Amino acid sequence: MVVINIVKPKDELLMPTKFKLLAGLNTALLLFLSVSLFAQTTITGRVLGNTDKQPIVGATVQVKGGKSATLTGSDGSFSITSSQKVSALVITIVGYEPLTVSVKGNSVGDVLLSTSATSLNDVVVTGYTTQKKKDLTGAVDVVNVKDMKSIQAGSPEQMLQGQASGVTVITSGAPGGPTNVFVRGVTSFGNTDPLYIIDGVPLSFHDINANDIESVQVLKDASASIFGVRGSNGVVIITTKRGKSVGKPTLTFDGYIGQQQPLSGNPFHLLNSQQLADALWQADRTSGQVDSTGNPSSQQYGDGPTPILPDYITPGGAKAGSPAVNPALYNVDYNKGPIYQITAANKQGTNWFGELFKPAPIQSYNIGMQGGSDKSTYFFSLGYFDQQGTLIDTYLKRYMARMNTTFQLTKGISIGENFYTFYKDNPQITYFGENTINYDYREQPIIPVHDSQGNWAGSNGPELGNSPNPVATQDRTANNKGSDWQIMGNFWGQVDFLKHFTFRTSIGGNVENSYFYAYTYHTYEDAENNGSNGFTENASYGSYWDWTNTLTYANTFGKSNVKVFVGSEAIDQHGRAVGGTRINYFSDNTNLWTLSNGDPKGQTNYSGTGAGSLYSLFAQGIYSYNDRYLFTATVRRDGASVFGANQKYGYFPAFSAGWILTQEDFMSGLTWLNFLKIRGSWGKLGSYANVNPLNQFTLYSAGAGTSYYDIAGTSNSTVLGFRAAQYGSPNTGWEQDVITNIGLDGVFIKNKLEFTIEYYQKKINGLLFQDNAAATSGAFPSSEPGAQAPAVNIGDVQNNGVDMSLTYHAVLSPVSKINLTGIFTTYSSKVVSIPNAGGYFETGGSRIGNFVRNQQGHPVGAFFGYEVIGYFSSASDVAKSPTQQDAAPGRFKYADINHDGKIDASDRTFFGNPNPKFTYGLNVNATVKDFDFTALFYGSYGNQLINYTRYWTDMWASFQGNKSINLLYNSWTPTNLNPKAPILENASTFSTNTVPNSFYLENGSFLKLRSLIIGYTLPTSPLKSVGIDRLRVYVQGSNLFTITKYTGLDPEIGGSSQAFGIDYGSYPGNQKSYSVGLSLTF
Amino acid sequence: MKKTNFKIFLPLGFTVVALVFSCSKSFLTKPPIGSYTPDVVATKAGVEGLLIGAYSMLDGVGGAGTNVSGGGTWVSAGSNWVYGGVCADDAHKGSDPGDQPDIVSLMTWSESSTNNYLEGKWEAMYDAVQRSNEVIREMRLATDIAAADTVELVAEARFLRAWYHMELKKMYGNIPYVNESVTYTAGNWRVPNSTDVATNDGVVWPLIEADINYAAANLPETQSQVGRVNKWAAQCLLAKAYMFEHKFSDALPLLTTIMQNGKTSGGAKYALVPNFNDNFNAATKNGPESVFAAQNSVNDGSTAANANDGDVLNFDYQGPIGCCGFDQPSYSLVNAFKTDPVTGYAMPDTYNNSNLKNDEGLKSTDPYTPDSTTPVDPRLDWTAGRRGIPYLDWGLNPGFVWVRNQASAGPYLPLKNVPYKSQIGVYTDKSSWTPGYTAININLIRFADVILWAAEAEVEVGSLDNALADVNMIRTRAANPAGFVQGSVANYKVSPYAAGFFTDQATARKYVQFERRLELAMEGHRFFDLVRWGTAATELNAYVAHEVASGYTLIQGATFKPTSIYFAIPQAEIDASTISGKPTLTQNPGY
Repeated sequence: MVVINIVKPKDELLMPTKFKLLAGLNTALLLFLSVSLFAQTTITGRVLGNTDKQPIVGATVQVKGGKSATLTGSDGSFSITSSQKVSALVITIVGYEPLTVSVKGNSVGDVLLSTSATSLNDVVVTGYTTQKKKDLTGAVDVVNVKDMKSIQAGSPEQMLQGQASGVTVITSGAPGGPTNVFVRGVTSFGNTDPLYIIDGVPLSFHDINANDIESVQVLKDASASIFGVRGSNGVVIITTKRGKSVGKPTLTFDGYIGQQQPLSGNPFHLLNSQQLADALWQADRTSGQVDSTGNPSSQQYGDGPTPILPDYITPGGAKAGSPAVNPALYNVDYNKGPIYQITAANKQGTNWFGELFKPAPIQSYNIGMQGGSDKSTYFFSLGYFDQQGTLIDTYLKRYMARMNTTFQLTKGISIGENFYTFYKDNPQITYFGENTINYDYREQPIIPVHDSQGNWAGSNGPELGNSPNPVATQDRTANNKGSDWQIMGNFWGQVDFLKHFTFRTSIGGNVENSYFYAYTYHTYEDAENNGSNGFTENASYGSYWDWTNTLTYANTFGKSNVKVFVGSEAIDQHGRAVGGTRINYFSDNTNLWTLSNGDPKGQTNYSGTGAGSLYSLFAQGIYSYNDRYLFTATVRRDGASVFGANQKYGYFPAFSAGWILTQEDFMSGLTWLNFLKIRGSWGKLGSYANVNPLNQFTLYSAGAGTSYYDIAGTSNSTVLGFRAAQYGSPNTGWEQDVITNIGLDGVFIKNKLEFTIEYYQKKINGLLFQDNAAATSGAFPSSEPGAQAPAVNIGDVQNNGVDMSLTYHAVLSPVSKINLTGIFTTYSSKVVSIPNAGGYFETGGSRIGNFVRNQQGHPVGAFFGYEVIGYFSSASDVAKSPTQQDAAPGRFKYADINHDGKIDASDRTFFGNPNPKFTYGLNVNATVKDFDFTALFYGSYGNQLINYTRYWTDMWASFQGNKSINLLYNSWTPTNLNPKAPILENASTFSTNTVPNSFYLENGSFLKLRSLIIGYTLPTSPLKSVGIDRLRVYVQGSNLFTITKYTGLDPEIGGSSQAFGIDYGSYPGNQKSYSVGLSLTF
Repeated sequence: MKKTNFKIFLPLGFTVVALVFSCSKSFLTKPPIGSYTPDVVATKAGVEGLLIGAYSMLDGVGGAGTNVSGGGTWVSAGSNWVYGGVCADDAHKGSDPGDQPDIVSLMTWSESSTNNYLEGKWEAMYDAVQRSNEVIREMRLATDIAAADTVELVAEARFLRAWYHMELKKMYGNIPYVNESVTYTAGNWRVPNSTDVATNDGVVWPLIEADINYAAANLPETQSQVGRVNKWAAQCLLAKAYMFEHKFSDALPLLTTIMQNGKTSGGAKYALVPNFNDNFNAATKNGPESVFAAQNSVNDGSTAANANDGDVLNFDYQGPIGCCGFDQPSYSLVNAFKTDPVTGYAMPDTYNNSNLKNDEGLKSTDPYTPDSTTPVDPRLDWTAGRRGIPYLDWGLNPGFVWVRNQASAGPYLPLKNVPYKSQIGVYTDKSSWTPGYTAININLIRFADVILWAAEAEVEVGSLDNALADVNMIRTRAANPAGFVQGSVANYKVSPYAAGFFTDQATARKYVQFERRLELAMEGHRFFDLVRWGTAATELNAYVAHEVASGYTLIQGATFKPTSIYFAIPQAEIDASTISGKPTLTQNPGY
């Protein structure tokens, strides 16, 4: 990013005197440039670490004041040639203190670099400019990219988990699946994704090749104000690699291949066939549903004192040899007559989880090439990532290419580009709601995967419930196809002029195309089958451009350092989508999968479009005095097309200041303290992520299913109708955050211990949120197909918390080092007001209603409903307890919150909180000789979850699916008064399974070993002969353990910002995987 | 050269900056591409389209309310199968006990004000009300509509507005009336209801009547499209309002005129169609008996959304349609069709003494012979599917295997909403998740309904002979053997009542009300009729006892309380109506 600009002596003469006087930063440089030419000299040497005496590879060795530079080789040695006289060499490499070595003669011998224990001198990109970390006044977290890449994931945002303090990341095991990223708590009831700025352009991070990433920093406080209306969710700034202008070109290869293991055993704790039948008998008996013999009666299991498993489930309950089983009638083709299947009972029981989740390979290959000269650099990479999901027929396949180049055209003028493109196929399932994974516990174990003829078996028989066959459901998606590709990046140009000025312009953006087709089968095996087959095809494209210009002035006056820049940014976006569906395909043959081959009767099609623009001006001033007093002031004005004329523009100011105490004389005596800075910031930020671009308009629509009507009574045609589609709000404006931050950065004990702690308070005012108008307004919530209420600025949320990071590094022996990094994040997100909705709104829906109420005075996403305080133990217990609908022994006893002696809707209460008290990450890195060792732990403490799967498995009457071991063996009975489930009965009641209550609440705390890597770097000398500079091999295990009390699959459960932590059957992210990999440098 | 650089780049740079800094205004204005703006719709054709959009809510689906948590299109179904049928004695919820749990508390009259179904129905109906209002509002903005045309548009819109308010009124009792002056944009949408239902009656009924009277005065007698309401439909709706208001003396002359002269929008004189079941057949819909119906259509490009979307759960299980076993006729309802072996009369006092023979507890493989001796009203087998009786043209009903959960819902299947096998794909739509989407209309008002109101009014004014004549029109049609289920082994017997059979008002009232139960069973009226008659508590508490004794334990312990006559006003609506801490909506008593 930083282009080295070396001013030649001739220019000095051209400079006006006043600029010459102002010259500060470049003075030293200029001095060395004015020397005269000498003959070529070559200097050699070797660079080693000062403690372990091991070679340091890849250090930059530069002639002080000159242009010549080189990199140290694999043995740490270098050889540098210069046409000038060389008085000194400057040796730099990240992680070590820079060193200037005086040159006497042709060799400097062994040069020892001391580890820069601190990252204080690291250059941090803070938006439109850069600063050294020690000079920062805002809360900027610099991610350790190497550690981050130790996590094997399809999307780089998943890798941020536990790597940046203040950033809470909830992921899932789905390849390319959804990730919740909360920077300092839940900052919106809409989109909480931070703004991702990649090489200066706002772009999607989701499909970036992680191998291309050079640096990641997260702006968490007022430092994000420079991004104005897009900054309130935090800003993640990513720079990608570029070529080095020194050293020889390198070619690197990185690859790994591995296998992911599904969770083993019986993770939903379900019954087998005989047990489920036994449970049926018990339920019928409890509920008095017995026939004249006193026994339950069932088509499948007979009517004896105990249930007898049938030989066939279709025809229902048939015994082997029964004339009811007639192979001549077998048919699964609707065109040939009635469906007739013969399905043998699976008497052992089908392990549906095991059928649906299979071991799955993961592989990743990357080739990178980089190099350059003092005039130009290049970085080129090709990548392939292929993660098969353990859930069959889910996967992410992505091909990626990047080309970043820079050219110095002439003195002071450089141009460059960053170009990235990818192609992917990544089918998605429903993640937060009913999905294929639910079918795992809803499909009865007596149902086999296939019927007698090898076709799908299912619930299409008596008493088999109504779940679809999950394996069939997934398998039928195998031939669906999606393809997405994007091109993104920018062209930039930079001019340095008048010594202190830099003008930079960048035109960037992306073009994306998304396409998919999907076929729906006319299912035959289920209790509830599709009415026909059908085929859907969709395509969309979107594009946007971003034009950013900045003008920077930097100078030094005595002890004062000044940097000021002004800039503008314009963004314009546009997109269209088209799609259609036809049904009644003549055959399921995949060759027929075009829309044209379907039945035009009943076809549907659609297209849509959208556009938006943003125009902004901004300015920032950075001032430091005597390297100890630091000040920054920022202001940005944003104008956005999504807001009406009344609210189009917003202003976002910010101020911050820092004081480096260790620069003061009075601190100089403290030898154990190497660095201490206290800093504070205040700023405004905004968000418009939660606004539909057309929010300001009142609009009508014509929809075939929503406003057309068969007014002529034809039964098969309709007449055009209109309806109000939305009511506009011209007065809706920015969601505005005011964030205050206090931070302390310290480095202790000979630079071995580095820590940062921050406390922040974030007030989000005028939360953009859909107006919760009463139905009488004719304006409805987005969940409903009625006319939409607009987003308005209602609701305030307040977040506060502490972010902390701690790094310790030590050299344990000459050949062993250790590096520990701990990340600690807390937040509390509290709803301060929701004035327009009676103070709350509910969400987090399920079959039994909403589990979440966002209400004033309560945490965002809090669980709401009846609080279970136990089970009614007896009829007398019922009689002496507050009046409760359907109260009976063995059912839940709810808390009488308002103490009025009866349980009703006013006794619902907040019984749980999905927000963790804190999350933490621990990265352990160690090297011993040629071995390296990495362990990444991540944990969450104090968050609670709703295990909604227990609605299905722990309550007999919910549906006729499979049930839990707890329900059969540890449910309430008169002798089991401390059970794990209510009474096993065939009744659905308010006191059991028809309302949200705290029965489903579980502790969601966990600790995961996300990654464990052992690597070995081969000795260099033998490799040299085959042209290999470096070869490292490693083995990696992911998610080797998860410690949790949660009884569901995985305690890490995302959702939306309004409702998360509800387990509808989540795609587990805690599956173990094992891989081997290598990195090769030529 | 270096100097040139400054000369070129400095001005260039600043020019670029200046350009960028100045071009923002039009850049930030993006028109709503892809959407209809109000000015586009404020034309004659546009306003007519809005009217169509208001009609399209008659089936209860297509607008708000169908996505409430735990719900679906069935929540707001225009057929009112949940509120009118399951909450009364027509039908059991059906399915597995835990499926659609919100219905469980509704049908046991124990629902709380947070029941999602109640929110869904409320939302759907006010969406429909505001669609009707949009017609009037946008019409006033249009400049190309002739004055005469505005009258017609307003008449139809006000008819629909009255209809939707009546749907709300009969369910919730104490409702806000929302006319065209109420809009989201104006911010005046926190319309209060009244302090109690009685007060609300005095406020809302006159407003409903005013809307209907305007419609009746201004609508034409016939319409070019049968789905449009005409003058006669408006008069029938007025009569319905009078019946709910117990204004029998106002209703009677109106009903008499309607019966003499009324005709459908298509111009056919109102009459009972010869075959009872033709009212429930997509091929014979919109006949002379159809006063006002939700026009359902299929294969029209809407992914079945214009079909009977709210009723798609109410079919057999793994049988002809295969989803989802809801709305299963009750034992009591089936028993009600028993007729006296001698007279062929209904047996309102004794019908429930024993259950008609059924296959409860029997598997389809167990032998079973349906009752062929007990005389039953032939309408039974067009109303409830019974084992061993032809199920339309789907063959003999095999019982158990077509019933989702006999143990928890009973042995009977719904029938009035079921399509014929021969009509699959023609009057059904396969493009959505279940095959049961049909083009069978929802009969919102059919002529039999009107005749029975007339009979009621006659009873209340004391003209019992006229009431008997009205009831006999219904029974005579039922007795037409051509209209029986063909191939059935049942012993069908139904007779008109002999002259003078209605010896006193109480007797007449009992038989008129009972006739209404038989004729309109499973059509979503029963609950509202019971409440209107003031007999809900007596009838329904007896019903609970009978059904529980018969094995339908899901309603065990349910009690119909005096306050159960109105459903709870949705809590979310009360909360959303809050102004400075005080809700403008008042909850009904008992919630």
